Amino acid sequence: MATWYKCPVCRKLSREHHDLARHYLGQTNKEHKDWLKKVGLSYAELITMQVTEFGNKGYDALAEVLKKEAQEVEVDVK
Amino acid sequence: MKREYSIIGKPTGNVDGAAKTTGEAKYCFDMSLPNQLYGKHLRSPYAHARILSIDTSEAEKLQGVKAIITGKDVPGGKWGLWRRFRELCDQIALADDKVRFIGEPVACVAATTKDIAEQAIELINVEYEPLPGVFDPLEAIKDDAPLVHDDFENNINATRHIEWGNVDEGFAQADYTREDKFTCFPQAVASMEVHNSLASYDKGSKRLTVWSSTQSPYYLQLGLADALKMREGDIRVIKPHVGGGFGGKNSTMPDSTSAALLSMKTGRPVKIVFNREEEFISTEHRTGMHVALKIGLKKDGKIVARECKVITDGGAYTGLGATALYLSGIFQTFPYKIPNYRYDAFRTYTNKVWATSVRGFGATPTVYCAESQLDRAAKDLGIDPLQIRKMNVMEPGYEAPGQYKVDSCGIMPCIEKMEKRIKEKWPKVEENEGIGFSAFAYMSGGIFNWIDTPYAYSGARVQVNIDGTVDLFTQASDIGQGHNTVSVMICAEELGIGMEDIRLHPADTATTPVDLGAWGSRETLMNGNAIKMAAGQIKQKLVDLARAKLGENIAYDLVAKDKRIYLELRPERGFSYYDIVRDAIKLNDGEPLIGTGHYTPHNKGMISPAYGMGIMAIKAKVDKEIGHIEPQGVLIVHDCGQEINPLGARGQVEGSVHMGLGYCLCEDMPNDNGMLLNPSMNDYKIVRQRDMPQIELMDVPTYEAEGPFGAKEAAEATIAPTAPALANAVFAATGAEFDSNVLKPEKVLKAIRAAEAKKAQKK
Repeated sequence: MATWYKCPVCRKLSREHHDLARHYLGQTNKEHKDWLKKVGLSYAELITMQVTEFGNKGYDALAEVLKKEAQEVEVDVK
Repeated sequence: MKREYSIIGKPTGNVDGAAKTTGEAKYCFDMSLPNQLYGKHLRSPYAHARILSIDTSEAEKLQGVKAIITGKDVPGGKWGLWRRFRELCDQIALADDKVRFIGEPVACVAATTKDIAEQAIELINVEYEPLPGVFDPLEAIKDDAPLVHDDFENNINATRHIEWGNVDEGFAQADYTREDKFTCFPQAVASMEVHNSLASYDKGSKRLTVWSSTQSPYYLQLGLADALKMREGDIRVIKPHVGGGFGGKNSTMPDSTSAALLSMKTGRPVKIVFNREEEFISTEHRTGMHVALKIGLKKDGKIVARECKVITDGGAYTGLGATALYLSGIFQTFPYKIPNYRYDAFRTYTNKVWATSVRGFGATPTVYCAESQLDRAAKDLGIDPLQIRKMNVMEPGYEAPGQYKVDSCGIMPCIEKMEKRIKEKWPKVEENEGIGFSAFAYMSGGIFNWIDTPYAYSGARVQVNIDGTVDLFTQASDIGQGHNTVSVMICAEELGIGMEDIRLHPADTATTPVDLGAWGSRETLMNGNAIKMAAGQIKQKLVDLARAKLGENIAYDLVAKDKRIYLELRPERGFSYYDIVRDAIKLNDGEPLIGTGHYTPHNKGMISPAYGMGIMAIKAKVDKEIGHIEPQGVLIVHDCGQEINPLGARGQVEGSVHMGLGYCLCEDMPNDNGMLLNPSMNDYKIVRQRDMPQIELMDVPTYEAEGPFGAKEAAEATIAPTAPALANAVFAATGAEFDSNVLKPEKVLKAIRAAEAKKAQKK
């Protein structure tokens, strides 16, 4: 068994918070963006950070929030 | 082992060359049907506006007007090429609730003459409520930006993330890092033949026939089925000769949807031909983008990491732009081994006509950035531009984790050949002259199935008749690149007959097996495989019969060549092809011999089954007083596997270099709040024939096991290196670094001054 993290909006599971952040910013629908607003983040700002600055600043910022917010799920990885 | 072919690899004139040069070849543009009407679109003057009402009553009264359609007359829904992701199928036949770019069609008139149709659109009254628009991708993603499509928050149309290795660790290991930002401007397609279609609907059978200047009859059939709410099988699409596509004719466009709708409404054939201004303002072009690029290298020039950030100006709809977004992250890594790589990309909707696939799509902009940056890094590290490339290029069998695998790979011999030839041809450069290089690679068709076809990617059917003549049926599209000739050459070689024995029946959805069309250099490998397979089935039957008649040992090989079938090691023992065909048909209960072939790539990664590649060098002279760049010569060493038709490949290379020079030097699409400022051939500057430099093309033959007779992509790859090789030549001559394409004199002068200032500061 391994601990994975569940997207707060859809059923996506990721092994790392960082991967979950990548998934999250790849979603263009309202539901995902509304949740960001709820936790005080701006999709536009995260995207701008990610695309105009080197490194993974947009993903990093979101991953920090997801560490607190994403539900942990035990996954049978066999 | 060297393979000897009778037809493959021999420079061959196009099978339709005589018809084209004498004007006998029929393009859709030339066609008309009895009782035909002429269609004309009314287009939006606003980049973004709500349509409050459309009043067509005055136009309807005009004598000769037979029908007018608006968005409310469109029975179907939205369509697009990304059918696997329905939310990205966002195109519409005519704007209904709002317009999203200047030039978007809002109504279409069918009249007995073109003049009447043009007069009629002036009489249509549309009431608009103008809306604020977005014209730059970085503005489009802001939270308070107006939405081009209500369902797409922050105007994000598509996103892409590609990553392998450990990029942060890679940069940490680098001795040298460099960051550069670029803006890549869009480029018009500018085909000689504009978009045009002729539609004829039969009210009795409820079937529609459309002749169109398209790159893919199949894609057009699918698009029309969605737009018109019809079954695919009730729509027949025929592609006559096409005067250029270059990526701009993959999407289903309003010339065909409106002609079809008007024909359905009137019961008469309707033809729509865009004029040149309509072509510029309302049809697809190359994607503009902002690119941020970081590279990390060891002191010896070995690349250890690259990171790329891209945000693209997608325009109002998706087209193939989402694919271009993905490929922009892929082809900038070619033909190098980059152990740690990260790519983040976002495609935005803006209030402009949309961007899509254009010749070398996914490669041309980001290869410009990456190859420019590589030369700057080489200079900083004191390494020769060819050496730094040699140090990093792929080898056969190289794999980018989770993305692509490269089997045949002649890039190193290409560079070695270039090194040798450069010394002979351009042993020294004069003052203000420079030689620039760029390596390149491109796909042999795409593996990605965004169209979601259940069919094989390519199909062919071959029928051999009693007299030995062959009918070859395939939906593959010749759009001027010479695929009709390549098809016939492959079929003739496989059957061991002459090209004159073959009659080609191309690109008609009612009579030919599905092929996805001409994009991404896919036809030679994918359709070539299907044709070879179909012809191969018949060849096997003929060989088996000949073997039985000869009564030879089963281990002896027979070949079909020069219109005979004979023992390979004893050529005197065999039969005429024609005699064997007659016997085979008699044994087939009198039925002509039929072979079918199909091809879909498997186990070849995510991108393409094979990659053409090579290296380009351009010598250029720079006038430092006026900023004029004069390309003086182009050297190319190309690995395209086994060339099928060297004459055709050379023609395509020349075309690619021509378009690449335009991308680098002068082809510009200035835009003022959504309005294109140069929508004519007077104002849109294309490199003229007399300004073209001499091109020397050399070949490094490899054998691509996945391709027909060892062939793979040829020539399209050479557009992408043209702009960076030329920019690198200017860099070598002057030290000028460019942060965008379209190197007009004022930009060149500014960059030269900046380079001089930097040099003075260092002193």
